[in-house]
Amino acid sequence: MSTLDTDAVIPVTDSVTPLPGSGTDRPAATWHRAPVLASTPHGRGHHFLRLEAPSIARTCQAGQFVMLTAARDDDTGPVLPRPMAVYARNPQAGTIDILLGVVGDGTRRLASFRPGERMLVVGPLGQGFRIARGTRRVLLVGRGIGTCSLTTVAQECAGTGVEIVAVASGRSADRVVGADVYRAAGVTRLHEVTDDSGSSEVTRLRDMLTADLDQAPPQQIMTCGSERLARLCEELGRRWAADVQVSLEAHMACGLGYCHGCATGTRSGPEESPLICADGPVFRLAHPDAGR
Amino acid sequence: MTEVQDHDPATFDDRDRHFADHTAFRTDLAVSLGPLRLANPVMPASGCFGPELAALLPVHELGALVTKTLFSQRRSGNPSHRLTESAQGMLNSVGIPSPGSAEFIRTVLPRYRSFGVPVVVSVGGLAPDEYLRITEELADAPCEALEVNVSCPNLEHGGLTIGTDASTVERVVSGVVARTPLPVIVKLTPNVTSIGDIARASEQAGATAVTVANTFPGMAIDLNGRSAVLGNGVGGLSGPAVRPMVLRLVWQAASAVAIPVIGCGGISTARDVLEFVLAGATAVQMGTATFTRPYAMTQVLRDLEALCRELGITRLADERGTVRT
Repeated sequence: MSTLDTDAVIPVTDSVTPLPGSGTDRPAATWHRAPVLASTPHGRGHHFLRLEAPSIARTCQAGQFVMLTAARDDDTGPVLPRPMAVYARNPQAGTIDILLGVVGDGTRRLASFRPGERMLVVGPLGQGFRIARGTRRVLLVGRGIGTCSLTTVAQECAGTGVEIVAVASGRSADRVVGADVYRAAGVTRLHEVTDDSGSSEVTRLRDMLTADLDQAPPQQIMTCGSERLARLCEELGRRWAADVQVSLEAHMACGLGYCHGCATGTRSGPEESPLICADGPVFRLAHPDAGR
Repeated sequence: MTEVQDHDPATFDDRDRHFADHTAFRTDLAVSLGPLRLANPVMPASGCFGPELAALLPVHELGALVTKTLFSQRRSGNPSHRLTESAQGMLNSVGIPSPGSAEFIRTVLPRYRSFGVPVVVSVGGLAPDEYLRITEELADAPCEALEVNVSCPNLEHGGLTIGTDASTVERVVSGVVARTPLPVIVKLTPNVTSIGDIARASEQAGATAVTVANTFPGMAIDLNGRSAVLGNGVGGLSGPAVRPMVLRLVWQAASAVAIPVIGCGGISTARDVLEFVLAGATAVQMGTATFTRPYAMTQVLRDLEALCRELGITRLADERGTVRT
């Protein structure tokens, strides 16, 4: 789950299924005309927003998303709000952080909001990542802005004894995101890998992760932002008999499920394919040998 | 406007304030669609509303609810991508996924009924007979009106849109009217040479009202992939971009028929509503604006009350069709 304009869309495969019980135990969605507390460029092509949205900050679950309206005040357009992962949340301060890729007209407008302005935010929305009872170690594998869907998993696990090993991948060092939230959440290990250095290459990443985790593998793997990495996670899930969850992204209009604009299916079938906004954005990347 | 105090800001949010800020409406906003009386003229456009919105706006304040178009059989809809943005608008090719009539009556309709406002069930078909069948299947379903979506392709005639041919519209609508005691609204396609002709065909077939209009056909191309953005190739354009074109169509349709016209196309403010009423609309539907702001319809209702007072309007229905041309 990241921006409408992103170029890192994961083609949806037949192996994606809604998490069991998707749709239950979700916090009620609400909206804020949220004061913008911070609005700053971040790395290359990214922008950081801190919004005062107390209800969402209090109830948002790891991996859930919000819809940000890029139209200001009484402006009628852009008409579609942008779905954005909650990058970090602070229930005490009543704030949520959003890190967005500035790639199109909508995200440019979102990045142009200045502190003191108000931005309409609707959330929390969708099915987040589910951390199973009994999980002792989680591997998070994010690529580019997709890492923003995973950081709240680390926040949720902070102080619970669940160990987090995180991979943050990007084209270059200034496009790797998540390190600040991961470090603040006290993750056990953070691997920052880049295309520039070659360290993000799938074979090297596989070798690095198996060397790191074969002796004490994770029970769950969560990923977002890259089809290649999702495939690697699927393979590692088989190797370690771990549950694999993936967060998908799509163009959306309603974010709630009633408009049916974000069905996953690239082909029509007799049954409508799952909706990314309501059945996801987090799905199980299921494989028959995944160990259950 | 009363500033709401005495609430813990952590538990009382903007949504709660919007729900609480319900002014007693002093302007008479009530309108009639034949025998169907609505407390006010604002309702959602088909496909742009769902019970999922219950937590985000005071749905019970709306004049009526309109369901997503229902087909007799279950349908999966179009492949992705199903929507994309354009200047002051959006294109969709959702393709009307439908649970089918039995599932709709059992699980979906009760959720619409729970809001306590009139429910209009939108119906569709891929051949004239399918409209008659869905009408029969809804015979015992609790709802206040049917809206016949004639913008579907007629598979009996090479996919030509049913609503572009006056005789086919008359045949479909008279068949539906003969099979239901409910008021029948016909939602017209804008892609016709004379909207007045199609509106008249609907009126002659016994329609209670016409909705003007559905989306305009459009297309978007992804230069990087040299491919159509929408999975279906083409889609329907909606939003503020189409509003002046629909305003004209409403004016033309209202001049052609005596039955009420429901305006639908790019309405997002109270001023837009009043423009449509002056052009001849009795009621309005809002769609894309709800995507931009989920509370758009009830905000428009609040603003409409204020705007009417500002303009000295005491009864909205008196303003219908009063535009000077």
